[in-house]
Amino acid sequence: MKLKRSSLMIEMPSSAVSDVVFILIVFFLVCASVQPDKGRAQEIPNKDEKEQKEEQSQNIEVALTRAGATVNGEPMTDDRFEAAIRRALEEKKRQEDKVVIVKSREDVPYHRWITMTGLIEKAGGIITLELEEEQTTIVE
Amino acid sequence: MKMQRKKTEVSIPVMAMGDIAFLLLIFFVILAKATDDSHVKWEPAESADLDSTTYSPASVAIDNENRTWLNGKEIGHAQLADAVKDIISSVPDPKQRVVLLKVHREATATYFEPVIEAVSEAGGKLVHVLEREQAGKQ
Repeated sequence: MKLKRSSLMIEMPSSAVSDVVFILIVFFLVCASVQPDKGRAQEIPNKDEKEQKEEQSQNIEVALTRAGATVNGEPMTDDRFEAAIRRALEEKKRQEDKVVIVKSREDVPYHRWITMTGLIEKAGGIITLELEEEQTTIVE
Repeated sequence: MKMQRKKTEVSIPVMAMGDIAFLLLIFFVILAKATDDSHVKWEPAESADLDSTTYSPASVAIDNENRTWLNGKEIGHAQLADAVKDIISSVPDPKQRVVLLKVHREATATYFEPVIEAVSEAGGKLVHVLEREQAGKQ
């Protein structure tokens, strides 16, 4: 003898679906807004420390332009830049001697500055900025 | 003749309370996000070595029009050091005095160097917000 199966009608509670969707949207919004930024920390000595460190030794000087760079006055291509800094820093044994003074021309874009200072830090240098001061020249 | 009023029982839907409380909680969590500078338009520079940033009480941005913003409010270079100092001095641990720096990738040294100098002067721990460099991108 065959037994009849009772057929149950199963329906999705459609009124709850919108609530679930709303909660999911809020969840993903919160996830997106809380996501931390990615970045790179940089130690820049403050004025007093900088003056102290600069007094103590002859520091490496890097001059940045929009397309090029010089290390202690010597023009350098970007490929040779890191190696040159590394070589210059090898001679410096004390931490305070590893300060690299970075002078940038006014038109140096931030992305270039980040790349070059990244290379200096990778080579073991401590970045210090030297800002160009405004000078008034009277031409007669 | 008196008409009988229909009596309806009004009850608070207790089951929905949990949902409402949860939504309110999320709402206040979003509001509590102290630094909202989402309206500042800037494009990050790229770098290969990046770490996740931690909580920061101050965020300085330079937008695509070279304007400087501190925690979403426009500020001049002259006032920046003092304003940053005021904000980060509320953090007791000097190591936690992180200042996020969001600079538009094409901003020039004239605009970003005084900002870096001001943050350094204020005693902030500088973190450049950048984007991971994609392989093959020039």
